[in-house]
Amino acid sequence: MSDGSTAGFLATVPLLEGRSESDIADLARVLRRRAVPAGETLWRQGEEARELLLIVQGAVSASLHAPGGRVVEIGRAGPGEMVGEIALLDGGGHTMSVQATEPATVLALGKADFAALLARQDPATFSLKRRLASLFTARHREQLRHLAASLGGDVVDLPREVAARTFAELEYCGPPDSRYLRRMATFHDFDPAALWGFLTSGRYARCPPGRTLLAEGAPSKACYLTINGAVEKVLIRGDRRIRVGLAGPGKAFGYETLIDGLSSPVTAITRERSLLLVLPREPFDQLFHREDAISRVFLDVIQRDLVATLRQSLRPHARLAASV
Amino acid sequence: MAHMCRILAYLGEPLPAQNLLFDTDNSLVRQSYSPRMMNTFLNLAGFGMKAWDPTSLRPEDPFSYRATTLPSFDRNLGFLSSKLAPTCMVAHVRGVTYSDEAVVADTNLHPFQFGGARVALTHNGHLRQFPRMRYALVDHVRPELAQRIEGTTDSEWIYALVLSQLDDPYRVPETRELADATAQALRILRSVRAANGIDTSSPVNLCLSTGSALVATRFSFDYGWYPPEDEMLETDLPFVSLWYAIGGEYAEHNGDWQMTAGDPPRSVIIASEPLTTDHSSWLEVPEYSMLTAELTPSGLEFETRDLDV
Repeated sequence: MSDGSTAGFLATVPLLEGRSESDIADLARVLRRRAVPAGETLWRQGEEARELLLIVQGAVSASLHAPGGRVVEIGRAGPGEMVGEIALLDGGGHTMSVQATEPATVLALGKADFAALLARQDPATFSLKRRLASLFTARHREQLRHLAASLGGDVVDLPREVAARTFAELEYCGPPDSRYLRRMATFHDFDPAALWGFLTSGRYARCPPGRTLLAEGAPSKACYLTINGAVEKVLIRGDRRIRVGLAGPGKAFGYETLIDGLSSPVTAITRERSLLLVLPREPFDQLFHREDAISRVFLDVIQRDLVATLRQSLRPHARLAASV
Repeated sequence: MAHMCRILAYLGEPLPAQNLLFDTDNSLVRQSYSPRMMNTFLNLAGFGMKAWDPTSLRPEDPFSYRATTLPSFDRNLGFLSSKLAPTCMVAHVRGVTYSDEAVVADTNLHPFQFGGARVALTHNGHLRQFPRMRYALVDHVRPELAQRIEGTTDSEWIYALVLSQLDDPYRVPETRELADATAQALRILRSVRAANGIDTSSPVNLCLSTGSALVATRFSFDYGWYPPEDEMLETDLPFVSLWYAIGGEYAEHNGDWQMTAGDPPRSVIIASEPLTTDHSSWLEVPEYSMLTAELTPSGLEFETRDLDV
């Protein structure tokens, strides 16, 4: 495949929509094309990530290795889709093993080139970050659907009214101690003025333990960022309750609805008394769609959270597969 | 004085202690100087272990070893661990804040086990503002056990508190009784903290052993709340980690240490961090939960439950 035909393919990749022709041409020059025979393992779970792959032709499957030698297929990817970016973004090992299920052609983008692509501050990069957020949200929903299917049973409706009431009755308060905020790992890398702009975009609210903030199947009224305390994200089926994540300090939740317009994929309940930054739809939309330093902080916070969420929500998959 | 540590527990088929302490690429000894899941702290304040071997003299008593020496430089530990193949073991590397207020001493090394008692305990975590609540705990600890506290740690008080919840602290408790005593001790700690106005994050990852059973917790009081200038803030922001691997036996295959498949399971390892950089044969213990494991004639009985105290 020549640079020209690679560029032609890249122009059709939804993730890269909005990139200029010269951007696409630059990207085409750093991508490495590889033909992969059916059955070849592209990487194993836990291995250090050196590149992500864009699939040009064929298909790959992503599988989770669970204790006892069990293997669970979590998803498949085909032409125009991407695999391997989670480990590149968080620096951890690959979350799953990836294998070609049929002869495939892939384009490999190295770690440094991917980082460079995300480091720019032009409109195309903001657009890329928004598309990544949408992609990861869709992938997270798929993981949860997979998990819910293995649990069986129906969604419990009760939390919907409770969550709406909680939102209406939130007890708003002043902002937290800035000395604490500056030490939170989530915010270490950000420019202080931009960070402060983000942290003052919403309102702070205190919530006692045991309060339902989101209901699976109902739209979320806000995006929340935990400042203090902890919020459990759970799937409830009958009398079974599976925790799919814990949003402790610096972790966000409730943003899926605001990104894709669908209902909340989880129920969220405060486990500890919590102090939350609450961003209802309007400030969320402004932060998500603007293209300035404050929005950059926000998009990076959401992206990191989604990456961590995708990794964290594999835990119950592994436990169920291991059945211990 | 805050402290954070790494803990390890094993129950199952006889296994050389050396495999758990030294041989893997994230072994417990390696976690003393290069922990992967801990921010800002190393565990340089000593090592301790209890190891039960049913073929030894008085098998109900564990081999006991503890030293403030760095375990990676401890030849005696190396020699000992190469000759021991216990069916049950609890071990601990201790980390304390880098301050001249820290007491690095033999009496502060885990696992704690009072003479005559059948239960040993290790702790990964710390009770913030412990000096404010220490003496309020006296009301909940049997006097003869309170008198046996030798060191300066919150962990030894937690140990005495758990033992005090048992009908008889000097016999081997049923696994369920030990689990209930542990949960009850946490409830008492919560009420004493509340009575003394203590409401900041205090991780309490415990591992208790009788030689034939393990009880472990991954738990924190008031997780996510910190004094703004706290020296342990960055370490405590993530929920303190705990992992387990369960299956047939822990063994090396083609250079990789893994828990083999086993149905029913025969062995379990519980550790602050997986003992290998490859986590694929390990599971993360859910936050706010308790694990129990017991060796029975039909195999290893294992249970995880939410810990709501």
